[in-house]
Amino acid sequence: METATLENILEEHPLFRGMKEQHLRTLVESSTVVRFEPGDVIFEEGEPAHHSYLIRTGRVVLQLVSYRVEPFTLMTLEEGDIIGWSWLFPPYRWKFTAKALDVTRAISLDGRSVCAKCDEDHDLGYELMKRFAQIIENRVEALSVHLVAVEK
Amino acid sequence: METLQGVLGAHPFFNDMPTQHIETVTGCVSNVRFKAGDAIFREGEEADHFYLIRDGKVALRIHSERRGPLTILTLSAGDILGWSWLFPPYRWKFSARAIEDTRAFAADGKCLREKAEHDHDLGYELLKRFAHVVEERLEATRLQLLNVYQDQ
Repeated sequence: METATLENILEEHPLFRGMKEQHLRTLVESSTVVRFEPGDVIFEEGEPAHHSYLIRTGRVVLQLVSYRVEPFTLMTLEEGDIIGWSWLFPPYRWKFTAKALDVTRAISLDGRSVCAKCDEDHDLGYELMKRFAQIIENRVEALSVHLVAVEK
Repeated sequence: METLQGVLGAHPFFNDMPTQHIETVTGCVSNVRFKAGDAIFREGEEADHFYLIRDGKVALRIHSERRGPLTILTLSAGDILGWSWLFPPYRWKFSARAIEDTRAFAADGKCLREKAEHDHDLGYELLKRFAHVVEERLEATRLQLLNVYQDQ
């Protein structure tokens, strides 16, 4: 019962739209439902990265932290957005800090488990990497626009 | 004489990729040269290739309404240029210009996409690598942003 519900939740998230049922079923095994209160730090820059978060409701700010300046909010993410993929690449640490603005409900994907499933099933791996690559690409574009806007 | 496949296989992008995949990719690749000052591609144009830089130097630029072209990154030997052919709308988000005489491998994006769609083992290997390259670009942009904020 719980599993079926989670599968439906996954299916509704834009990251998984159009994904084959068998792949969704596999990914359910790596997924849990999580909830954050306003002000909660979801992850912190520099910490080891183990999960991705698919936002279902609520808002999350992505911040750039440095020892010389105040945390700087780069963008606000909301329903349908995804945060975190640093578990995919060395050094497997967060590059940003994510903080919940509202009560935020999300699906947490276990990176190690997802990687193992992708290595086992390259059809799934191909589908998922295509989707992650595109999301990362969108983030590069957003950050570049940001950079152009702030550079003097 | 070195074969194209041999030279490609030695590029860091193809580290640990099974030989049969490198062989398949080689079928989509040709040798190209750019003179200093040549435009390799322009923002907004159809994106149909990616480039593995062998030697020389390339400036990646984004257009700023306020300040005209702004160089966001300089690429050199071993770097990868261009992945917009991977995602709709298949158009360049940046412009690239050779700032020195540059030799590169140019891979036909459509050819690669078709081969990846046909063979998901290859597709997974390729997309994992591209996701990583895009992520490295994200990291470079993040560091630039950090610099800008620290200077202010």
